[in-house]
Amino acid sequence: MASLGSSSSSGTEYIVRVPKNTNKKYNIMAFNAGDKVNCSTWTQARMERDMSARKIYGEEETPEGAAGSEFGKKQREEARRKKFGIVTREFKPEDQPWILKVNGKAGKRFKGLKKGGVTENASYYIFTQCPDGAFEAFPVHGWYNFTPVAKHRTLTAEEAEEEWGRRNKVVNHFSIMLQRRLREQTQGDEEEEESEKSAKKKKGGGRGGDLRIHDMEDDFEMSSDDSDNSLGEDGEGKTKAKSEAGKGKSKKKKKNNDKEALEDSDDGDYEGLEVDYMSDESSSDEEPEKGRPSKGEDIPKGIDEASESEEESEEEKQNEEEAKEEEEEEEGKKTPAQAEKKKKKDSSGESDSSDDSDIEGETASALFMKKRTPPKRGGGRGSAGSSRTGSRPGTPSIDSAATSNTLRAAASKLEQGKRQTQGPGTDSPAAKRLKMDPSGQSPCPSGKSTPQPPSGKSTPSSSDVQLTEEAVRRYLIRKPMTTKDLLKKFQTKRTGLSSEQTVNVLAQILKRLNPERKNVNDKMHFYLTE
Amino acid sequence: MSEKAGDVDLTGAKLNTGVWLVKVPKYLSHQWAKATGRGEVGKLRISKYVSFTLNEELTAIEGIEDKTVSAPREHPLTMQTVGGQTLAVFTETSSDKIALEGVVVQRADCRPAVSENYMKLKRLQIEESTKPIRLSQQLAKAVTNNYKPVANHAYNMEYERKKKEEGKRARADKQQVLDMLFSAFEKHQYYNIKDLVDITKQPVIYLKEILRDIGIYNVKGTHKNTWELKPEYRHYQGEEKVDE
Repeated sequence: MASLGSSSSSGTEYIVRVPKNTNKKYNIMAFNAGDKVNCSTWTQARMERDMSARKIYGEEETPEGAAGSEFGKKQREEARRKKFGIVTREFKPEDQPWILKVNGKAGKRFKGLKKGGVTENASYYIFTQCPDGAFEAFPVHGWYNFTPVAKHRTLTAEEAEEEWGRRNKVVNHFSIMLQRRLREQTQGDEEEEESEKSAKKKKGGGRGGDLRIHDMEDDFEMSSDDSDNSLGEDGEGKTKAKSEAGKGKSKKKKKNNDKEALEDSDDGDYEGLEVDYMSDESSSDEEPEKGRPSKGEDIPKGIDEASESEEESEEEKQNEEEAKEEEEEEEGKKTPAQAEKKKKKDSSGESDSSDDSDIEGETASALFMKKRTPPKRGGGRGSAGSSRTGSRPGTPSIDSAATSNTLRAAASKLEQGKRQTQGPGTDSPAAKRLKMDPSGQSPCPSGKSTPQPPSGKSTPSSSDVQLTEEAVRRYLIRKPMTTKDLLKKFQTKRTGLSSEQTVNVLAQILKRLNPERKNVNDKMHFYLTE
Repeated sequence: MSEKAGDVDLTGAKLNTGVWLVKVPKYLSHQWAKATGRGEVGKLRISKYVSFTLNEELTAIEGIEDKTVSAPREHPLTMQTVGGQTLAVFTETSSDKIALEGVVVQRADCRPAVSENYMKLKRLQIEESTKPIRLSQQLAKAVTNNYKPVANHAYNMEYERKKKEEGKRARADKQQVLDMLFSAFEKHQYYNIKDLVDITKQPVIYLKEILRDIGIYNVKGTHKNTWELKPEYRHYQGEEKVDE
């Protein structure tokens, strides 16, 4: 309705009125040009003040009068504030931002922040034209800038910083949010069960910033955190995470390990490794490795073994999965299986492969796999690969087995995430099943892997997946262990228990066993003598 | 009322009502505020140029001694486009009803036509605004606290006088004191001993004895060093104990 009417050169005159009695306050709703907002397309809209700042600014509401209140509390509080010079900004409802919801629940949402200083030096008026041709001018009371609110999930500041640190390594960005979603899922389940524990420490599994109460918990938490957090998204060759719908979805949820971009380890890398004489590790796991820790980043530096072994197994897994990927997915998409594998921390690729070997792969392209793996294996893992294949004579294609196994495991892991109670159920049968097979087949049960350096497995995984008193007793009899070590034996992904559950159960068991304590290297070790 | 929850009246948006957003100088808006009657403030002339003419009667500026200075009458309006930005206008009534009035189709800047008059006005304004908010003022009598009094004389006298007037607190009847206490505790749950002394006007020791009977002393927690009634004497909402 720009300039109306006049085509005559002398122009037209309009009377301007400033109504006095209006009880309506006019405000400006400013949208960004880029948002391309068209108000006429809105079918319905709701707008209300965002009062969330009231909790921050408003003082805590203590009951006034009667129960719970104190005589003269308000005055005392005010005096105290004045003494310390605390100036609290008042909470003015008028200055609070608006929340605008357009077109109902599925529509857009906007947040409108008040722009300051609009009415200070000049006044804005809204000129509307009345039916009688005159203009009416209304003063603008406030100016609000409305910006669209993201409905999708975003990273928090800490998470964003972490990802930024890994930006050179991560190629697959889709996995970042997937991983987060899955983590939230598991956290949510854990929280339900252990509400007090979570109250004490920050939600487990979260990266960084856990509140440490005391050492024991510390140890428990650390390892479980490690296992949970381990995954990194290191650079990966394949970036897209799409595959067929069903599979893709479940797989997508798994963390993807982008280990492929890491450099291969050379032969000399594992020379100085300490090897744990506990031979139960490297037993078959029921569940394939899920999460590979990033290249030692998330793990405290002190735990060289773990990181090394994990790296190793990562790389092995990587190879397997790469191969599997190629054959399963379309062009180089990230494997669900690979993702699942990466999920769980499994320090022994050996045991894993033994698992896989026992499960005869359904994949027709076993041959395909075989062909591919050798070249990849070539890389610095020659020793590892060869020893592995050596110990498992009857395994045609380790990788193909790995595939199916990991798929199953992935699916079960997902379910586990959703129904924590059933989690152990699903896992242990699988675990037991898998355990049976290896022990049936290979003479050297996966459980008792020979502690040979060539295999490079320094901290093999536990054979006894169940966190029982018997298992703990066995470990402690054999050799003194710290709580952290113990926890490593009973990794959450294997036992199917959440990290907090593991901590609890382990604590109970230890209480029952009442082992002897000894301080080795400034660390408290438990041991039993029988 | 379901409507209260913030439903926005979208009639203006649907009709695509177009409005102008005009930036107006402060003095002009002050003059407009003084408009009487129907609120007519002036005329808007639209031709090749747009200009606004202030009504004669509104040119007088209040608050200035210099009567020769008055608000200018002619104000050309500079028209600007909205650009890509969408500016909508919404109104909020005192009853919290929100309505979308329309969309801004044109922006304008109202400027006064440069004239002697305007310059004088501006000078006055500048003088006004350059005055500092904070002033240094010389005090007639220096404020000193340099003495080291044994006791502040004025204060001392006042204190003594107050003491004499009040006298020592007398022990009232135990039952009376109890009544006072109970009524006090009806209002608030936690009391400082000093406040109770104030309320009951009893000597502290006597009061403490009574309190020990019927109340408990909170040492820790949020209500530190406060007295409260014993649970069996309490009768607060949600508690099912009986008064004595």
